[in-house]
Amino acid sequence: MPAAVLLTALLAADPAPAAGPAPGGLPAVKVQDLHYGDVLFHFYQAEHFNALVRLAGYREQGRLAAHARDAELLRGGLWLSLGQHREARAIFESLLADPSTPAPVRDQAWFYLGKVLYAAGQFEASERALRSVAGELPPALVPERLLLLAQGLMYRGRFDEAVAVLDGWSGAPEWTAYARFNLGVALVRAGREAPGLELLDAVGTLATQNPELIALRDKANVAIGYAQLQSGRPAAARLALDRVQLAGPQANKALLGAGWADAAEGGYRTALVPWLELHQRALQDGAVQESYLAVPYAYAELGAIGQAVGYYEQAIASYDAERARIDESIAAIRAGRLLRAALSTRDDGRRGWFAQLAELPDSPESRYLYHLMAGHEFQEGLKSYRALDDMARNLTAWSGSLDAFGSMVETRQQALATRLPAAESRLATVDIGELNARRDALRARYEAAHAQRDVTAFATDEERAWLDQLDGVDAELAARAGDPGLDEAREKARLARGVLMWRLDEAWKVRSWRAGRSMRELDAAVYDARTRQTASNRARSGAPERNAELGRRVAAVAPRVAELAARVESAKAAQERFLADIAVSELQAQRQRLDEYSVQARYAIATIYDRASAQAPTP
Amino acid sequence: MRMTVSALLSGVLMFAVPPRAVAQDDPAPSAGRSALDAEVQELRRQVVDLNRDLFMLEEDLLFPASTQVAVFVSMDVGTFFQLDSVQIKVDDKEVANYLYTARELEALKRGGVHRIWLGNLKAGEHEIVAFFTGQGTHERDYKRGATLTVNKGVGAQYVELRISDRVRRLQPEFVVRVWE
Repeated sequence: MPAAVLLTALLAADPAPAAGPAPGGLPAVKVQDLHYGDVLFHFYQAEHFNALVRLAGYREQGRLAAHARDAELLRGGLWLSLGQHREARAIFESLLADPSTPAPVRDQAWFYLGKVLYAAGQFEASERALRSVAGELPPALVPERLLLLAQGLMYRGRFDEAVAVLDGWSGAPEWTAYARFNLGVALVRAGREAPGLELLDAVGTLATQNPELIALRDKANVAIGYAQLQSGRPAAARLALDRVQLAGPQANKALLGAGWADAAEGGYRTALVPWLELHQRALQDGAVQESYLAVPYAYAELGAIGQAVGYYEQAIASYDAERARIDESIAAIRAGRLLRAALSTRDDGRRGWFAQLAELPDSPESRYLYHLMAGHEFQEGLKSYRALDDMARNLTAWSGSLDAFGSMVETRQQALATRLPAAESRLATVDIGELNARRDALRARYEAAHAQRDVTAFATDEERAWLDQLDGVDAELAARAGDPGLDEAREKARLARGVLMWRLDEAWKVRSWRAGRSMRELDAAVYDARTRQTASNRARSGAPERNAELGRRVAAVAPRVAELAARVESAKAAQERFLADIAVSELQAQRQRLDEYSVQARYAIATIYDRASAQAPTP
Repeated sequence: MRMTVSALLSGVLMFAVPPRAVAQDDPAPSAGRSALDAEVQELRRQVVDLNRDLFMLEEDLLFPASTQVAVFVSMDVGTFFQLDSVQIKVDDKEVANYLYTARELEALKRGGVHRIWLGNLKAGEHEIVAFFTGQGTHERDYKRGATLTVNKGVGAQYVELRISDRVRRLQPEFVVRVWE
């Protein structure tokens, strides 16, 4: 399925403003939900499974509100990337059924629905969906839409309409090159050689530095070469085959074809150049196997009988050795060792695991793996097998975690049973309501003192004692108001109160400020205590029930893990048998081909000897 | 002797599959799927659903909302700062020290947000300090710290550490933001 690049285009139409240009020319996404950003963090690293799990989890937790539509589109795209067409289709259809879905999201949903239908082989419905795109798609999706339309038409045999769709494309050739190639191939197959070759030629002469397009160009040239050879036009075939790179995956076929193009015009000496080059390459390849017959054939045509016989004998020995290796590989595959080699490669992000298959050490189980991958059925089967293996690993990991979760819940239950009563009785002694009331009374006193500028309100304990003492003196002096002998004492008391009040007045500003600060600190402390009490109440209230609920969830999920793990193992075993059957049948076909080549070589030698003996002078 | 060009031709005339494109199914995509394929699809769906449930269960169990605090790292363009690593300290205790790969940096630059730490904190004030290490302009080693005091309430709390470009000063900027 399409990987990151295509899915990334989903995000290009994010209604949020782009933060700026991102690497690779893709617009950056301005994230409005951190959790959506977390999904993207994994998605951009091509961790599609992980991204989908997080997306589904966060969606369930209601954490993707700001990106709800985009998240749905991404969820559909992620299902699609995992090859889950039914789930993807349901999401896109639901987005389309919702009248509140914004137009850009709707257009992309139509596009992806068309893609799902295409992948399911429903080309007519796919075309309808693709043609329902009303507005502008993100630039990355535009050529892909055309490609889907053209290929869908092609598979329905409507070649001319498919060509017309492709002709309407004026952008970069990357996308349409694949469609042109496929359409060219389809036309040649359908017997419409001229337009087919014209399309293939457009791909075969593509000027590009892109390694993927170079590989496609090689494929196109090989296709042209063989089609021209079959139609008896060796010169045109040679022209196309000469454009193929010597080191690419198509090189062997091109070398073989180039030799045949020369040979068809009687140029056996020139035909030997590509064929001898091919003769030195690894014998697993079909073209190389054929070159073992082609080289002596050319020598025989050139009259170099000795060399021809030598090469035929070498061919017979090499075919025998190769057949023995095939038998060895078949035995290894039957013993169940084939897939161990395939699983030894991992996608490390830089190169996919498929590319690494070519570099596996030579062993009976891995020798033909890369060649087997050329078959679509085996390739798809191997992908499924790897997916099942990933699932098995995932379930094994969760199974271990679930044991730990179970112990955790149990430990918590025990801790709650022992500690909760003590904590509750401690907390029962704290009365936040009473604390609040005391704080409020204090604040009222503070505010009144502040409003009335009551300097005595902020007196220290010592000053308060003096004030009390002075009040006592004043009371006594007042009781003896007519006694003139106490006039001096009265004067002293007045003076003392004056000094004290002056001091209190002088200290008022600082003390009032300090008292204000203390009040604020008290407010904060009371608030903190209230928050802690709320948190503590919340934590305590229903804690045993919550823990029990978690315990139930752990207990409920454990059998699901075990049941799925067993089913995955059984599907893995079935898939392994299926792949082994394909591999063995393919290798047996190859062995049979080698048998036939070997017979041809022996027959050729016998013919040469017969001719030689017929021409030899009779003694 | 003559080679069979037509036999080779059938092998050569196979449809091509764009490496990152749609036409994955080769030959033509078809509606029919084998029972084995259908079983793989069904298993994958159930494994994804199970993983979703386990993902939520794990979070509820290990990081209940009442104590949950998550710290995220995000990046806006990042022209003036090439991030190497981020260290997080909570109340002077190191809780995360993460070294970024090129692939992760690319994901950050495209708008991905990395949840660098998910943990539990009790209600009340906590100091979160983040140290960003990397290269600034002119490939100079660069280390910056950012501090935030959070008042952990009763619900889950999310903190974003954002690295952005301050274009006028040609300097990176480190912004700390608490999400409600």
